Amino acid sequence: MLAYVIRRVLIMIPMAVAISFLIYLGLDATPGDAVSFMLSPEQMSGANPERLAELRQALGLDQPLFVRYFIWLWGLLQGNFGYTLTGGVPISDLLARRLPATLELAAVALVLSTVFGSILGIISALRRGSATDNTLTVVGMVGVSIPEFFFGLVAITVFALNLGWLPVGGRSMPQYITFWDRLPHLVMPSLVLSIMMTAGVMRYARAAMLDALNKDFIKTARSKGLPEWRVNLLHGFRVALTPVVVLIGFRLPALIGGSVIVEQVFQWPGVGSLFVLSVRNQDYPVVMAVALISVVTVLVVSVVIDVLTAIIDPRVRLGN
Amino acid sequence: MALADIPRRRTRFDRRFDRIRELEEAGRLKHPTGSRLLRKFMSNRLAVVGLVVFSIILLAAICAPLLTPWDPTKINLRAMLQPPSWEHWFGTDKTGRDVFARVLYGGRISILVGLGSAVVSAIIGVIVGCYAGYVGGWFDAICMRVSEIIMAFPELILVLMLVSILGQSLSNIMIIFIVGGWCGIYRLARASMLSLREEEYVQALRSFGLSVPLICFKHILPNALGPIMVNITLSTAAFILAEAGLSFLGLGVPMNIATWGNILNVAQDLGVLQNNWWIWLPVGTTISLFVLSVNFIGDGLRDATDPTQQG
Repeated sequence: MLAYVIRRVLIMIPMAVAISFLIYLGLDATPGDAVSFMLSPEQMSGANPERLAELRQALGLDQPLFVRYFIWLWGLLQGNFGYTLTGGVPISDLLARRLPATLELAAVALVLSTVFGSILGIISALRRGSATDNTLTVVGMVGVSIPEFFFGLVAITVFALNLGWLPVGGRSMPQYITFWDRLPHLVMPSLVLSIMMTAGVMRYARAAMLDALNKDFIKTARSKGLPEWRVNLLHGFRVALTPVVVLIGFRLPALIGGSVIVEQVFQWPGVGSLFVLSVRNQDYPVVMAVALISVVTVLVVSVVIDVLTAIIDPRVRLGN
Repeated sequence: MALADIPRRRTRFDRRFDRIRELEEAGRLKHPTGSRLLRKFMSNRLAVVGLVVFSIILLAAICAPLLTPWDPTKINLRAMLQPPSWEHWFGTDKTGRDVFARVLYGGRISILVGLGSAVVSAIIGVIVGCYAGYVGGWFDAICMRVSEIIMAFPELILVLMLVSILGQSLSNIMIIFIVGGWCGIYRLARASMLSLREEEYVQALRSFGLSVPLICFKHILPNALGPIMVNITLSTAAFILAEAGLSFLGLGVPMNIATWGNILNVAQDLGVLQNNWWIWLPVGTTISLFVLSVNFIGDGLRDATDPTQQG
């Protein structure tokens, strides 16, 4: 088991290094360098060129590309992402402020979509070929086909503007601090974000459940005289659960992409709206930092999911 | 006792079978003709509905000048924010442009971006995937690493990052979609090559001394075409959604060109959202319908080409 974990981690590290190098290349090719991030434009124009050259030398910016890359990487590992081009704020502070909002939204959407998706998928699989199954399949297709932001716009128009039940957007007002105060703001973004994923989970759970129900141990369970619900839920679903859990790893990229758009629609103050803002302002250091974080998250989660699968299913770790 | 004599409840399959038997006895059973794939596709009701809706929207976009007299970019300050009327079917927007004309002409660009990127990335993916999968070696290893790196990025993050570096333009958006999109089909083509190249008929071709490209593209590729076609339709749907999302954020196709996403961009304004539903609701519905129809077509193709995906 330990050997498997170590092997997976060792495969991941060169990928992460290659990607971070590519991102650094992008950062290097775009205008501006570390010195221009640190000084305000007035200081820049007033500064003595020799002092600037000295500063660049002190920061190692006159070194060859590879050395500069390792200096940058070393900074990253210590949590130093550099400074934004607009405003000169440390990027790590900005991220620390924005990340909790995004994590809250993503976690709620992930839980909602997993629960609803699995339940609907199981219902669909147990009544295979019935009207319920066909309806759910079509509804799932519709859910995947409607753009998330359009869903968001319709939801805002109906529930916020016309009915006035929920706030239009944003996350919290100054005096509301607890989670329960923030809940009304969270309802629409998390539901909209989870709709597309629910449809995906549903399709997957249906296929996994059908697969499990065709196995021999289900026949055995039935012939033992167990009640039908026990056969379906305790024997069938337990086996179907593994692929559904694995799917969380595959859903992460869609979740990150979706949260960028949903955060924008609902003015949710998270990393996604920060990313859009930075792309608009061509604030390259922030764009690259967010991209790097999202890729590393995806890589790490995929390793964790692989290890979890290996723990659940011995065939995986022995087969490789 | 024969199996048929065991008493059991009759199901709808029994009734269907009885009907077929009756027809057969009356000598009126039609023998199926034509392509099996086409027949299976046409018997899938949702896929046919999808094909019809797809064709209607595509034709309407192509024949836009015949369907509307309005110019999608002509600003008319005397007709700002008019609700739908006989003259302007979908009303007019903030600068008096006809929304119906913008939806039709915008469809041209949106469909071009979606279908064009999907087809080009499929061509690249298939060529690279077939060759790399059949020949293997260092070329395959490099392509595999590159696709792994690209696929590690969440799609929207990669696209937005490249937009910030390359800048916004119609051709840049398509290039970016292709860069991010070829990997999926490459993997697919490579995997089917790896399994098919061990087949006996391929060994026979090799022993006849046929050249590698001929074996790859003429003799193996047609057997792997089903999943590739399904992938093209599904990535068309994905690219149209991505374009709409990007343009909605104001980071896709430049705002002076009408696309479905660009029309929706104004709906970020709450005033428009509440008071001028005709600007954003018809476009959003059109995008959803179009993507839904493409998804239905893709699903129908999958059922028609892949015998393991039944049920």
